[in-house]
Amino acid sequence: MESSFVLLFMFTSLIAFMLSGAGLAFVLGAIAFISTILLWGPAALIVTVLNTFETMTSESLMAIPLYVLMASILQKSAIIDALYDAMEAWSARLNGGLAVGTIIICTILAAMTGVVGAAVAAMGILALPSMLSRGYHPPLALGAICAGGTLGILIPPSVVTIVYAITAQISIGQMFAAGIVPGLILAGSYIAYILIRTWLNPSLAPIPDDIEDLPLGEKLGKLKALILPAFVVFGVLGSIYTGIATPTEAAAVGVLGAAISALVTRRLSFEMLSGAATETLRVTAMILWITIGARAFISVFVATGGADSILGFVEGVEASRWVVLGVMVLVLIFLGLFLDEIGIILLCVPVFLPIIIALEFDPLWFGVLFMITAQMAYITPPFGYTLFYLKGVLPEGIGIGQVYRGVIPFFFIQVVVLIFFAIFPGVVTWLPEALSQVGK
Amino acid sequence: SGTAARAQGVTKWRMQALWGGGTTPMMYEEKFCARVAELTGGSLEITPFAGGQIVPSAQAFDAVRGGAFEMMKTYDGYTAGKIPAHGFSSTVPFGFPEADQYEAWFYERGGLDMVRESYAPAGLTYVAPTVYGEEPIHSRVPVRTIADFDGLKGRFVGLASAVMADFGVSVSPLPTSEVYSALDKGLIDVADRGDIKANYEEGLHEVAKYLILPGVHQPTTATSYVANTRAFETLDDQQKAALAVAAREISGSLRQDILVANGEYLKKFQDAGVEIIDLDPEDIAQARAKAVESWKKAATDELSTRMMESQVALMQELRLL
Amino acid sequence: MISLARRITALNRGLFALAKWLIYAIVLLMLWEVLSRYVFSAPTSWAPELATLIFGPFFLLGGPYLLHLGGHVAVDVASAHATGRLAVLLKLAGLFLAAVFGAILLWFSVPLVMQSFSYGETSYSAWNPIVWPAKAFLPLSAILLILQAFADAITAIAEPENV
Ligand code: NA
Ligand code: NA
Repeated sequence: MESSFVLLFMFTSLIAFMLSGAGLAFVLGAIAFISTILLWGPAALIVTVLNTFETMTSESLMAIPLYVLMASILQKSAIIDALYDAMEAWSARLNGGLAVGTIIICTILAAMTGVVGAAVAAMGILALPSMLSRGYHPPLALGAICAGGTLGILIPPSVVTIVYAITAQISIGQMFAAGIVPGLILAGSYIAYILIRTWLNPSLAPIPDDIEDLPLGEKLGKLKALILPAFVVFGVLGSIYTGIATPTEAAAVGVLGAAISALVTRRLSFEMLSGAATETLRVTAMILWITIGARAFISVFVATGGADSILGFVEGVEASRWVVLGVMVLVLIFLGLFLDEIGIILLCVPVFLPIIIALEFDPLWFGVLFMITAQMAYITPPFGYTLFYLKGVLPEGIGIGQVYRGVIPFFFIQVVVLIFFAIFPGVVTWLPEALSQVGK
Repeated sequence: SGTAARAQGVTKWRMQALWGGGTTPMMYEEKFCARVAELTGGSLEITPFAGGQIVPSAQAFDAVRGGAFEMMKTYDGYTAGKIPAHGFSSTVPFGFPEADQYEAWFYERGGLDMVRESYAPAGLTYVAPTVYGEEPIHSRVPVRTIADFDGLKGRFVGLASAVMADFGVSVSPLPTSEVYSALDKGLIDVADRGDIKANYEEGLHEVAKYLILPGVHQPTTATSYVANTRAFETLDDQQKAALAVAAREISGSLRQDILVANGEYLKKFQDAGVEIIDLDPEDIAQARAKAVESWKKAATDELSTRMMESQVALMQELRLL
Repeated sequence: MISLARRITALNRGLFALAKWLIYAIVLLMLWEVLSRYVFSAPTSWAPELATLIFGPFFLLGGPYLLHLGGHVAVDVASAHATGRLAVLLKLAGLFLAAVFGAILLWFSVPLVMQSFSYGETSYSAWNPIVWPAKAFLPLSAILLILQAFADAITAIAEPENV
């Protein structure tokens, strides 16, 4: 009885404090402190510091700044521009070609980097103006960019995946492998949707008559834009799956690959490295300070019996395990409307995972479902990262309302794909299993 | 402690354990708490928390010290960097080959008192150890003699990392969750992780075709029940005795549970095509003599030296050295 | 007061600008480890551990200046529409939470760092370095966070039109 009160108190105050607009890290910390003093005793505040010491020396969390740095260097190295140029040459005469090409580039970027921001910002600058100038239906163009940009969460490497794997105490490499097939299926679904929609209604993505097809030789020449990305993808994923490096070390290999790419495109400079380091520290400090706050929040929640009361509740209701799973996924989607993904993982995984295990679901598979809800969170208002990134590059006359409208169909595709993976777990788990069979 | 409410004669404690929720050793921590409640007629209620649920296991020392919880089940190796004596009260690489011998050192050769001495200045009271047997070494390559370790890449932690390094292993400190994939991809050749059953459940038979016994890096293990001294002093004699009795019961029953499970799970390893290599006791005995030099390096203060010397003396009596 | 606030902000900006370069040290250490293990088949005992010791100071020192930049993740659904007094009040409330957070981290970390120093605590790994210098960045960053919250509060009160 006391513990369900804890639950209620902690989550209502979380929502109330959050609406004040204060930093999530400090809101979580403050509620943790108040609850600790009221329900546990002031001496227990030491727990926050002890958790922070652990966070400070986590080899796995160190992958976060490394992947952010890599994305930042890539973004400044003009290889995304070259990719886009090649894609335009190849898909100009296809129905909805630029939108399809955007998804393809986003998929390639997703395989190179672990953060969402790079893809959305780059496509917002490159693809959006060219689609709009062709007369593409703005919501379609905006939706494709937002949805494509989030593919990086599921397709490895991915910072969100790393945080999930650490929190759930499963191998980062296994969790990465689990994301590959679902990520490609999701990308394929987006492409299928765009193709069907523009085939049914070609006016959504007009092909101007004066577009001339480039000679094949020239088109093939543009494919050399793929060389550097392939080099980076191989550097990161290759070094993980051939056993050269741990996922964290692979991120450092990726930084090296990105720096070499920037050298090749003649963009490497002191200013560029300095700017990339600034972005990296901003993003890293943001995530890690939330981690400190969230760990404080979770410790007091567990210690005062909140977690047990949830588990007890779930065991008490005589619902089928699928209903319980459905409720958990709905909670994740709901929280995703308001909360940052890293925060959601740190808050929910320690509470949900024991339930998942008790219900005999596979944590790896649940992780993939989680990543899809994370992708939903990234494109849904009011708190969707991709919306923030796009806001800055929207041209005159295009309002945020059109972005909201554009993401709706993609949101529903994500829902359908989520249900598909929930029903067919084998699609998710075969690749990690197959990869661990290799070499025996 | 401020939180140990003694309402209607009931003292309520929180205890953080080492283990993950749902694992066998965690079940024994639940049994420990239930037994204490039984022995005290319900006057001491301890709620166990799984490792890492409140603070990371390695930080539990300071959490109990600070009074966040009244008690912990810890592994002294975590604090050996602070208190050198704890290298000798947790596990000694190439040390006692039988759990009973190690437990005898605690109860018959003053080990208990020396460990209490190591905890007392920190405001902590060492209650009792839980002593059990070996953890295996998993390998991608056959290791048939101690000399075969020379030149391999390995994952070991604590004192074992220093000692195995002295035997020629290049040691990487990987997190437990990465052992499977590091072995799988050949990042490392040999690794320690957990006990035989836990490692089978993790699937190490899929990635390492050799299992080496005894696990010389960790032939015997002691984990510890430790209480906050201020909280401990509020207990009456019956409650204190209950803690000691329950702890000693758990030590025996967990050890026997592991003993039986080891046999059962070694069979499963074999069925999965893993070759079990038994190292020659003679070879290990010679290595033990060499390991004494590594122990001396780790015994950096008066108390740890005294503990090390008394263990060496007992090993000599038992004709292990 | 305003000049004090500016000086605090300048200090944190400077520390941010210094700390950001640590990421390249981490990159080099990790690459060195990969190289020595994969190419020379001789992993170092120190490179990965040194990298993790740098990691804490790196992200901790970024926090105070990030507070000034408004870069911490926040839900601004309500606060984005607030104006005038209410906006200043919400801003001060947020800064107060940050300062409390810093104060508690400071209060509980100082004794632990002192203890680590007096024990001469080492990591007990194969490399076995002392660990208090890395731990000391927690109280240091906590002080800097409190100072920055204080500086931003002064600015918010003195120049409410800019909130
Ligand atoms: Na990715
Ligand atoms: Na959202």
